Amino acid sequence: MKGCEHLHTLEIRNLTVRKGGVEILSGIDADLRCGEVTALVGPNGAGKTTLLLAILGQVPYTGEIRFCRAAEHGEGAPRIGYVPQRLPLDPDAPITVLDFFALSAQRRPVFLGASRRTREAARESLERAGVPHLLHNPLGRLSGGELQRVLFALALRDSPDILLLDEPVSGVDVAGEELFCDFLSKVQRDCRFSLLLVSHDLSVVARHADRVICLNRRLVCSGATTEVLTSENLAAMYGPDAHLFRHAHADGRGHLHDDGEK
Amino acid sequence: MESILSGVFALVDRLLPFAFAEPAFMKRALLALLLTAPAAAALGVPLVQHRMAFFSDAIGHSAFTGVALGILLGVSPSWTMVAFGVLVAVAITLVKGRTELSSDTVIGVFFSTVVALGIAIISREKGLTRNLQAFLYGDPLAVTDAELLWMAALFLLVAAYLALLYNRILLLGIHEGFARTKGVRVPAVEISFALVVALVVTAAIHAVGILLVTALLVIPAAAARNVARDAASALWVSVGVAVLSGFAGIVASWYLDTATGATVVLAAAACFAASALYRAARPTR
Repeated sequence: MKGCEHLHTLEIRNLTVRKGGVEILSGIDADLRCGEVTALVGPNGAGKTTLLLAILGQVPYTGEIRFCRAAEHGEGAPRIGYVPQRLPLDPDAPITVLDFFALSAQRRPVFLGASRRTREAARESLERAGVPHLLHNPLGRLSGGELQRVLFALALRDSPDILLLDEPVSGVDVAGEELFCDFLSKVQRDCRFSLLLVSHDLSVVARHADRVICLNRRLVCSGATTEVLTSENLAAMYGPDAHLFRHAHADGRGHLHDDGEK
Repeated sequence: MESILSGVFALVDRLLPFAFAEPAFMKRALLALLLTAPAAAALGVPLVQHRMAFFSDAIGHSAFTGVALGILLGVSPSWTMVAFGVLVAVAITLVKGRTELSSDTVIGVFFSTVVALGIAIISREKGLTRNLQAFLYGDPLAVTDAELLWMAALFLLVAAYLALLYNRILLLGIHEGFARTKGVRVPAVEISFALVVALVVTAAIHAVGILLVTALLVIPAAAARNVARDAASALWVSVGVAVLSGFAGIVASWYLDTATGATVVLAAAACFAASALYRAARPTR
């Protein structure tokens, strides 16, 4: 493809999304690089999820989202995996994790059973996500962390070029969150997809992201993690009272304290 | 067509050499129930998953107005009922997708408007009430050959529809946004599902009547939820409950001399009660 630098897998140019006459995102320019972890940060209502949905083609937008592929990764449209922020599920639904895999993967109606291919792919990707024992569990009764892993496994099954994770650690306890992030970096290193990660938790971002995009309806800034997470940039996003400070935890985890919900 | 039906009737005679299955009207009733009840029960599983029980009830009640319109216009009410039911189903689905109102609010508005229209028509035309009674309470013993053939065609249509779209319908029932990202074309699936539900509801009205038609969709599916753990068994348990209660209901109504449609629904309710007991007794995980 012409006009693309070798490494980039996704180029966003002058992206604008309007909803009901209001500009939710205006003039966003950003790049996702191959094999890197990019974090998308910003306050509530900054348009983070909207940006993901635009990349997925689920909301109408103006501007350009260009996918490019380095020659060694083969031809064709990119496969985009998506792990949504929350999936409110019916706890009583007679649907197992295997059914959930079958529903989106096989042509054969699920009431005639899961095909052997579905079964194998489900088992393999649950294995990679570290939760092979969940295959026959009822989907609606998974804990927040388990559901996260299952959704992640489902996204991994299609060997994505780009993986979009919306708040991957929300609804998971602190220990689970660390575990998930470490696990995520490992899988990401093995599979070499580029990862776009929405997160509220700046400690997660600081530890795991290569690059950061700061968003507040407009692009506040973007760049390498260490350059971007400065107090000026945080103030521009969250308001002047925001500070990234570190608690006295042994692991030095930082939290953003957004006083007054700006 | 006549020869197909008489062949089927002869088959029923051989399979069921009992007094209750002897009269032709009982054979028709049995066939009508064994065609519509499983189709309704199969659709009921995703219907319950989508929380659309109220929707099927609204379609059922729109049939009331469809029948009134048919009688008013001098057309066969069986067919105006189908046409009007389909119209209301599509209208509800389209409006629901274009407002911020919750779906039960939209359905509530349509439901009452349509029933009011029906009552207005009936109150103008004296003498309509008698004709309506057969539709309100349903009478599978009065099903005609043409209606029976329509039910058979519909049975095949539902089977083909579910074979093609069941996975997408269920995925949509789990979570709309997620289904969208998996390539489910939401409006097409929603409208086609509403249409098929409307066709089956209006056909099932012949068997159990307007007042009880939702029961054929909801009760077997609800029983299946109590018993089944995975998606495949949910559908088959639901269909099994429908066949069992259709058969048991018609036999019981013959010997107890009760209304057939109501007896079938009571049999389905008994299955539900049994499934609830099973669930209560099952050790929780």
